[in-house]
Amino acid sequence: MEFLKKTTEALKTGLRTLMPSCRQVARIQSDALERPLGVSQRLGMWLHLLVCKWCRRYGRQIRFLSHAAQEHSDDLTGCVPQNLPAEARQRIKQRLRSQGK
Amino acid sequence: MRFSFRIGAGPLLIRGILKPSVQTENPSAPTDENPSTGLSDPERWVETHGDYLFKFALLRLRDAARAEDAVQETFLAALKGGRTFAGRSQEKSWLVGILKNKICDHFRKASRETSFTDLGFYAEEEGDRFVTEGAHEGHWISEIGPCEWQKTGESLDNERFWQTYRDCSAKLPEKVAAVFTLRELDGVTGKEICALLGISESNLWVMLHRARMALRRCLEANWFAKEK
Ligand SMILES: [Zn+2]
Repeated sequence: MEFLKKTTEALKTGLRTLMPSCRQVARIQSDALERPLGVSQRLGMWLHLLVCKWCRRYGRQIRFLSHAAQEHSDDLTGCVPQNLPAEARQRIKQRLRSQGK
Repeated sequence: MRFSFRIGAGPLLIRGILKPSVQTENPSAPTDENPSTGLSDPERWVETHGDYLFKFALLRLRDAARAEDAVQETFLAALKGGRTFAGRSQEKSWLVGILKNKICDHFRKASRETSFTDLGFYAEEEGDRFVTEGAHEGHWISEIGPCEWQKTGESLDNERFWQTYRDCSAKLPEKVAAVFTLRELDGVTGKEICALLGISESNLWVMLHRARMALRRCLEANWFAKEK
């Protein structure tokens, strides 16, 4: 019984040192969008995500935002409220006219 | 019509985004001796595509005068290129391709004058939301950790969501925004961004991480937590 207790304690501390914090996992999940992760980073992240719903959400959310922006960059561009100002429009047309000759 | 950098244009345009402007002045030598780009044509371009190109440039350059310049240079380069197209969407893609190069030229020039590395922004990395001591140091404080986002798919079709997204990304400081926009909106690779702006990959990763963190938090506060 004592032995079992000690083993689980050791396992817990072992896991804790192996397991990165949420703060670190946030960074690792962003890096995962940029480059292949090292083995220990991947393992640590995987272990952490098994037990932490906040980090699972965080990862899902930054991946969602990243994909959304790339696939809907046109929507984002479209919702810029300003239009090409009238004087700029005239100026550009004039430049084009003089260049076209 | 839906035009997308990534999906529609594919790797060609993305590669094209980094070509020096000399090449883009004349994207493809017109072979036909029948330049139908008469006087009226370029002026129609301005009417048809001017607003879109301006919005496109303004979102990325964040300065109206710079955006106007980029649009003007784009039309002038297009005039020299002198091509005709079967459809307007093709024409638009072509113009956007030239504009992207002009925007990259701007960033390349700017990076020679000032460093694009910004490690000050959000350096605390949401320190107020993590446990600061004890066995759980560095873990999300349960009550204020990321909340579950509802109806993410529906949000994508909602114009107000994109306005919120834009407002949130507009809060990023200039250099972080430049990096973030190139990477997340335009899908430029990290290596290309580093070469364009003269920053190191490790600094790029820090900046992207913090930008994503700040944007996630802003959208959570102003959209996903609000909707309910
Ligand atoms: Zn966590």
